[in-house]
Amino acid sequence: MSDQSSSRPSGFDRRAFMAGAAGSALVPLAARAGTQDARAPLAQDPALPVDVTLRVNGQDKRLSLDARTTVLDALREHLKLTGSKKGCDHGQCGACTVLIGDRRVVSCLTLALAAEGQEITTIEGLATSDRLHPMQQAFVDNDAFQCGYCTPGQIMSAIACVKEGHAGTDADIREYMSGNICRCAAYPNIVAAVKQAAPDIMKG
Amino acid sequence: MNAAAPEPKANMGQPVPRYDAAAKVTGRATYGSDMPMDNPAYAFLVTSAIARGRINGFDLDDARRVRGVIDIVTYENAPKLKEAKLFSNGGYAGTTIQPLKSTDIAHEGEIIAVVVAESYEAAREAANRVKVSYTAVAPSASFDSPGTTKAAAKGQNAQFKEDPQVGDFAKAFDEAEVKLTASYDTPTQHHNPMELFSTSCVWMGDDLVIYEPSQYVYGLKNGVAEQLGIDADKVRVVNPYVGGGFGSRGSMTPRTAIIAGIARRLNRPIKLVPTRDQGFTIATYRAETRHEIKLGASRDGRLVALRHEGAEVSSRADAYCVGGTKTTTRLYACPNVDSLVSIVRADRNTPGFMRSPPEVPYLFALESAMDELAVKLNMDPVELRRINDTTNEPIGGKPYTSRSLMACFDEAAKAFGWSERSAAPKSMSDGDWLIGYGCAATCYPTQMAPSAARVRLQRDGRTRVEIAGHEIGTGAYTVIAQTASERLGVPLEKVAVFIGDSDLPPAPVAGGSNSTASTCSAVMMVCDQIRQKLFKAVMPNESLTDKAKETVGLGQAPTTQAAKSDRPLDLEKAFDALGAGVVEEYGEWKPDGAPLDSFKAMHSGHARLVGGHQMKDKIAYAFGAEFVEVRVNRFTHEIRAPRLVGAFAAGRIMNPRTARSQLMGGLIWGMSSALLEATEIDERTARYVNDNFADYLVPVNADVGGVEVILLSEQDDHINPTGAKGLGELANVGTNAAICNAIYHATGQRIRKLPVRLENIEV
Amino acid sequence: MRPFSYQRATAPDMAVQALSAAAAVNNSLTQATAQPLAGGTTLIDLMKLDVMRPAAIVDINPLAQGWSAIDPGGENLRLGALAKMSDVAAHEEIQRSYPVIANSLKLAASAQLRNMATLGGNVMQRTRCSYFRDVSYENCNKRNPGSGCAAMDGVNRMHAVLGTSDQCIATYPGDFAQALIALDATVELTGRSGTRSMPFSELHKAPGNTPDIETILQPGELISAFVVPGRWPRSVYLKARDRQSYEFALSSAAVALDVQDGTIKDARVALGGVATVPWRAREAEALLKGQKFDDGLAERAADAAFADARGRQHNSFKIALGKRVVARALQQAVTMEI
Repeated sequence: MSDQSSSRPSGFDRRAFMAGAAGSALVPLAARAGTQDARAPLAQDPALPVDVTLRVNGQDKRLSLDARTTVLDALREHLKLTGSKKGCDHGQCGACTVLIGDRRVVSCLTLALAAEGQEITTIEGLATSDRLHPMQQAFVDNDAFQCGYCTPGQIMSAIACVKEGHAGTDADIREYMSGNICRCAAYPNIVAAVKQAAPDIMKG
Repeated sequence: MNAAAPEPKANMGQPVPRYDAAAKVTGRATYGSDMPMDNPAYAFLVTSAIARGRINGFDLDDARRVRGVIDIVTYENAPKLKEAKLFSNGGYAGTTIQPLKSTDIAHEGEIIAVVVAESYEAAREAANRVKVSYTAVAPSASFDSPGTTKAAAKGQNAQFKEDPQVGDFAKAFDEAEVKLTASYDTPTQHHNPMELFSTSCVWMGDDLVIYEPSQYVYGLKNGVAEQLGIDADKVRVVNPYVGGGFGSRGSMTPRTAIIAGIARRLNRPIKLVPTRDQGFTIATYRAETRHEIKLGASRDGRLVALRHEGAEVSSRADAYCVGGTKTTTRLYACPNVDSLVSIVRADRNTPGFMRSPPEVPYLFALESAMDELAVKLNMDPVELRRINDTTNEPIGGKPYTSRSLMACFDEAAKAFGWSERSAAPKSMSDGDWLIGYGCAATCYPTQMAPSAARVRLQRDGRTRVEIAGHEIGTGAYTVIAQTASERLGVPLEKVAVFIGDSDLPPAPVAGGSNSTASTCSAVMMVCDQIRQKLFKAVMPNESLTDKAKETVGLGQAPTTQAAKSDRPLDLEKAFDALGAGVVEEYGEWKPDGAPLDSFKAMHSGHARLVGGHQMKDKIAYAFGAEFVEVRVNRFTHEIRAPRLVGAFAAGRIMNPRTARSQLMGGLIWGMSSALLEATEIDERTARYVNDNFADYLVPVNADVGGVEVILLSEQDDHINPTGAKGLGELANVGTNAAICNAIYHATGQRIRKLPVRLENIEV
Repeated sequence: MRPFSYQRATAPDMAVQALSAAAAVNNSLTQATAQPLAGGTTLIDLMKLDVMRPAAIVDINPLAQGWSAIDPGGENLRLGALAKMSDVAAHEEIQRSYPVIANSLKLAASAQLRNMATLGGNVMQRTRCSYFRDVSYENCNKRNPGSGCAAMDGVNRMHAVLGTSDQCIATYPGDFAQALIALDATVELTGRSGTRSMPFSELHKAPGNTPDIETILQPGELISAFVVPGRWPRSVYLKARDRQSYEFALSSAAVALDVQDGTIKDARVALGGVATVPWRAREAEALLKGQKFDDGLAERAADAAFADARGRQHNSFKIALGKRVVARALQQAVTMEI
């Protein structure tokens, strides 16, 4: 083997792990546990890119990524989906919020490799060509932004906030929307937008 | 209509939705680091861990070994750049401290190396592997540190021209029936706009395109060209959307020319997205200030003596100061006034404008002192302001062009329920919470600057407006589109606006709240040129009168049915008479009193702002009154501000929706400044410690309860053609004092240092 | 962030094996060369800051099927270590029978982070000490043993007043751990030699002379579950902070009481935001047990809780604040309707 085993823990059991290696798709969650997959060579130099398939807005995207790439950087730098924003890169501002499955998460602290096999929804996946999502429309109607930089994250978070059942009262909306900083401080308008859109989202 | 879109009153435009709303809610709005680039290399900054001293050397071996590293730039191999002059000394820069020039370190977080790599991940790793050896010298961190120097601002800062004085303060204060002397402190604060301080540079031959969030594309273009030693026409700055500015992007920072220089040398587009903590030291900030206020009054509350002494921190290199005494000495009627502003030099990066730079700290001091005086006089603080209201500023006796301060107090007091206040401190509570009400005046100078615009009108009514303005969240696209629509009588949806590009006609810095007045005045003027042209074609022998308005539909507000559904038929007639399909006009507008070199300066990226107290024979300010309810938990001493009410008068309100949003955001900014925001400095190392969004506290949604914005109708024909006063920096001024005044009411405790934290409360 | 190999563990023994082999390199588990990845909200954050530099990441999320159950059904409450904070906070039976747990989770971080972070990861989250998180400060005994402590005489408003040493005053930042320690929870660890259980109170180590060693976890050991005995409907988590939400505690109290006929039969008090580790205030509990409640008793208990507290330049206020928070939490617990 030509792989640089010094870069990996000694005693590594190649049968037990599907390494994140170049040219291999990673094993789906919980699948093929403990089996040897001939297609999956062991980890090479960890600085080499890894093949990843991300499912974004309903489409599979094949990428070759540095293992350190976050979902946020994968979206922005590799898929040219720049709607999700980098405001802190440490999970402190919420501008990068996307949905993974039906959960809102900060994409800056999510490794792209760890998101493989899951449905990622970004701001670009909401509107159809001629119609805004009800939450987007509510943000327009209530002037729920100024500079607009936090807005994609706010909207993704707001949709989840409603679906989680946390949009019943103003106090609930404020608390459960507190993971998204808006430096322009459009907060009262954001609360109004979430209230406006909530019934539509719960219906549909 | 909903709360976000208030019904317009007299002299207000329509509350139309934002021009850029759809782009912003769909993620299609492209900010600096969103711009598509072909095969960019990624830059990552290495910044200094010491605030003063020098670099002994670098060990770059580890960093160079990182796969994908293209280049590591230090002072030893940095691109040669020309000196950057300070904006206030005829240059463009916010600091004259030039990183990568030598081994010297002037402040913590100064750029000392730039790593360029094939990927962001590799650049970051290599930057982390750069090893630096320093010789550190004990730095001076702030006011109380050994080694600082203090001197009067006058004489060292070209823009600080006078310490306003009138009458005989010393005698009047000595003889005053009621006296107050109090000191106030404000902290270091950082703008922390949501968008990071990114810069992308792309060379195409000798031409450079810069994608960077900027509040002044002409300033940046000219400044970078100067540093690179190339013709300004070779540089283009593009930023159709800016993710918040608040002053942080008004002047050039060193990073831009550095990245441009490296991109040129490597012949490769470069993208830099600095981290949030790097933003604390590679750009500017609001410096900490200290104040002493002396007020003398008669028993009936008339001010007879006022003295305001302020001190501000700046860097060793640059004498930046905000000098808010220009405002506080003129706000109230008072025959004997004295003032002094000093600058204290420390080992820090150079501070700069942050939303209402002079007014936030200086009015915090004055409006707190006014509240203290009201307590001494046993007088309602609103009445104290009424007694000292004035139509003319006391220093030069010039009349305010319009001043609705007391009307604002009365409207806001009514909406707030001020009359239900029980005046005694500690007399109101609700369960665990002590309740306090407080108020303060707010104001901001009305400023304008020369601006150009190009407008193209087609016979079908489609209109294109081009102006190098800036969309930083203020609604620039929207009010420019409204102005063209109203002036030309074409439906709003037919107006396309292009801003945020230095290839467009020059507009001033989006600072000093001048943008709407300046850009819209220019757009109005150019639209009138178009009308003139069309009118002359239809009626060559008549001058432009009301008749002409019909010719091109002027006077038909775009909300009318005619404008909405049909383009005015006479527009086609006019075009037929002219024998053209398109009319395009360019024009340059400047405000009254603008200096002679204004237009030349405008093109070379120097905004000549006029207004405020610097106008000839008059003084122009926007005013407001702010009332807050503060709650202090009697157990935890946590402080919350669940209710903020402000009434504001700012001349013509171009769009009540965008105006309300800015003022609402301003009120919340003020609350944040009073209760949350402070950059903590390690006294030993002169380093910013809480340089991230978890520790530098700004409000989250749950911190904000009811916010009510009342827009007063005000007409002012003495300021600029739009009749608009800037309001983006109006609302976050008075809130600081209003909050402290309310805390006094809730707890009986007068707090004179911001921000107020729970440990400052003794219940 | 340093390069790492990424591996998915699809069964517990695989995770244990990979982690234990790598961890043996360093006795400080938090600096081990292999790290488990659950929610990632601490690990990825600190890797970006270059504070943590694992060469291997073992993604244990595939173990969630077995390790994320929320089971309040039996005599004890059992919480899988990979259960998400948000799911536990929203669980109706937890809210009813263990309000201190539900609220400690609900008041932590943000909705997004609670969706990502797991219970096991949450109790393992690392201090927010600014000097620890910024590697350009050389003197941090937690990062570089023996290098000193920049926080000791630095900006230390957020730092600990209890459980400190002359080596480290970094605050344990979490909330949920205070609920666990108050309720006498057991932590279940899965390692090379199978599963073992121990009192949760023994998991974290006070800094002493080795602030770099934060827990007693052995190489390769993973937290697989928490077990909470009994039910504590009369329990409160009170958290004081500058901002209303999305902030770490300046001071917090987890309080659980068993009050019968006006007498406190059992009392549990734990403190957050003020100590270097999850902090049980047993002296306060001893004062409360067997007594009738009144405000004076609450204040005496609060005083006892902070009897050994030592403040520094900017954080001394936490002693007075912490006492008031404990007293108020006790009052709230006594008066709550259950």
